[in-house]
Amino acid sequence: MKKTMKKTLLLPCLLLFLLACGTARRGEPLYAPVPVSEPAVAKGEVVFNRFCQKCHPGGEAGLGPAINNKPVPGFIIRLQVRKGLGVMPAFKEKVISEEDLDNLMAYLKTLRKAKKQTAT
Amino acid sequence: MSCRIPLFFVGLLLFLGSCYRMRNSSGGGEGTIRTATRPVNPADVALPEGYTIEPVATGLTFPTSVALNEQGQVFVLEAGYAYGEVWEAPRLLRINPSGDYTTVATGSRNGPWTGVTYHNGSFYVAEGGQMEGGKILRISPDGTITPLIENLPSRGDHHTNTPVIGPDGYLYFGQGTATNSAVVGPDNFEFGWLKRYPDFHDIPCQDITLSGTNFESDNPLTDDKKDKATTGAYAPFGTATTAGQVIKGQLPCSGAVMRIPVAGGPVELVAWGLRNPYGLAFSPDGQLYVSDNGFDDRGSRPVWGNGDYLWAIEQGSWYGWPDYVGGLAFNGDRFHPPGGTAPKPLLAQQPGQPPKPAASLGVHSSSDGFDFSRSSTFGYEGQAFVAQFGDMASGVGKVLAPVGYKVVRVDVNTGVVTDFAANKGKETGPASKLKSGGLERPVAAKFSPDGNTLYIVDFGIMKTTEKGPEPQLKTGVIWKVTRKGSQ
Repeated sequence: MKKTMKKTLLLPCLLLFLLACGTARRGEPLYAPVPVSEPAVAKGEVVFNRFCQKCHPGGEAGLGPAINNKPVPGFIIRLQVRKGLGVMPAFKEKVISEEDLDNLMAYLKTLRKAKKQTAT
Repeated sequence: MSCRIPLFFVGLLLFLGSCYRMRNSSGGGEGTIRTATRPVNPADVALPEGYTIEPVATGLTFPTSVALNEQGQVFVLEAGYAYGEVWEAPRLLRINPSGDYTTVATGSRNGPWTGVTYHNGSFYVAEGGQMEGGKILRISPDGTITPLIENLPSRGDHHTNTPVIGPDGYLYFGQGTATNSAVVGPDNFEFGWLKRYPDFHDIPCQDITLSGTNFESDNPLTDDKKDKATTGAYAPFGTATTAGQVIKGQLPCSGAVMRIPVAGGPVELVAWGLRNPYGLAFSPDGQLYVSDNGFDDRGSRPVWGNGDYLWAIEQGSWYGWPDYVGGLAFNGDRFHPPGGTAPKPLLAQQPGQPPKPAASLGVHSSSDGFDFSRSSTFGYEGQAFVAQFGDMASGVGKVLAPVGYKVVRVDVNTGVVTDFAANKGKETGPASKLKSGGLERPVAAKFSPDGNTLYIVDFGIMKTTEKGPEPQLKTGVIWKVTRKGSQ
């Protein structure tokens, strides 16, 4: 029982630690541009800018928390978009269609990885 | 075991989701802010590969706008007023090649001077009008000041903004609202103006019919701390309204883009239902765009979670203030501060369906002056370069991290926003918080007439405390950005 409790406490602490370290900054001008040559990623970028950008500018924290540096699986993000969480509102299918959500997920995945240093 | 992992993540997210209200605001002006010095180091500013940045002038007090004449000489406005009720003389300065300056004209105690444009040998300046009401001024190169229009409704939270000359030869300008969301309240007392002008309020551009919603608040105009006031929309503080009450539209009005002939003449309405149309610019194909500062989480009718917006302006259109956010209607459910109630419509009948914004920008980013790239040499032709002053949390509402403090470029066809010039480091923020020599609070971006140089007007340090904003004198900087090999 004690072991289970320790494990339960350890994992959130570890994740919170991970959330608190790595930078959430991605893409230009600090790093290489976010590659949007894939059509789904390019469409997802437009969806992101319409619905997510204002609270998570560039995927960083702002009004809401950063989303670029969270080790959260895609299905959880989809759930959060559809159901909302805390102060974040839900975005139903009539607002963000399933296809747009797929594209948004493709963009978020690419955005998370856009951390390749460039010589500026 | 396999189902424990998803449950764990769901549990963790629920835990994190509930954290929002427990976390303190962490805006760029909050906390430990360096105010004693303003070091300037271009190496602390990140730009896309191939671009360089350098300071043109430093030590300015509240610079807000830049203009260039035919010879490429750089002229800068100093506002003469900043939030926090700091009053200085508004000035138009010519920046000399050495970086020092010569005063061209000095205004009266009626700042802030918010924008300047140069056209056919004269400067056109928006005088914010915190004391006497807003004005558009023509200033000759010898410093002679001639008002073209006066008594604009600018004695409140927002001012007369950014004159630009359109392809039709008219002078277009923005006029901000008196209040956050059409109801005068104690937040306006904190701004400083409610005590000066207790009867001042918003003015609609066309006739409107009210829902009759009223708001009870503390009454800061009396010494009795228990005294309350009831205030309705588009009404003086302490004046209630009734359902079906009609407020007559007037010109000039609040929250609008208006225009006058360049030589002066009658004012005409271009668009209304905006909140604080701060930046105006025509795209290369002649379309007028406006940057609009969104609602704050403050006052008697706080609105939460809405961004700043870039709008393509359609003649005669209504853009939604005070009952829409970014084209979405207040429906009594959305946009409520955490733990608070959702704002309900103030208008019994909406003047129309607002258009969709061209782009959504960060909540509280204070996306202000902007310009379009017209040069293949500079690059990003047709994109809007928007200066983001940065949040003024917590006075405007809470943020979890600094928002703004950079220049972004916007593809107005797709709404995609990309950082262009931003401070280096693990986090976004002003140089005074990051302890670097980079950008502080960019308030305007303007291209040189040949389009090859982007000037960034950096207002300087503004700390924010529980007592309000604390802008710092002589910390403003003008930067210029060029593309390597283009000069």
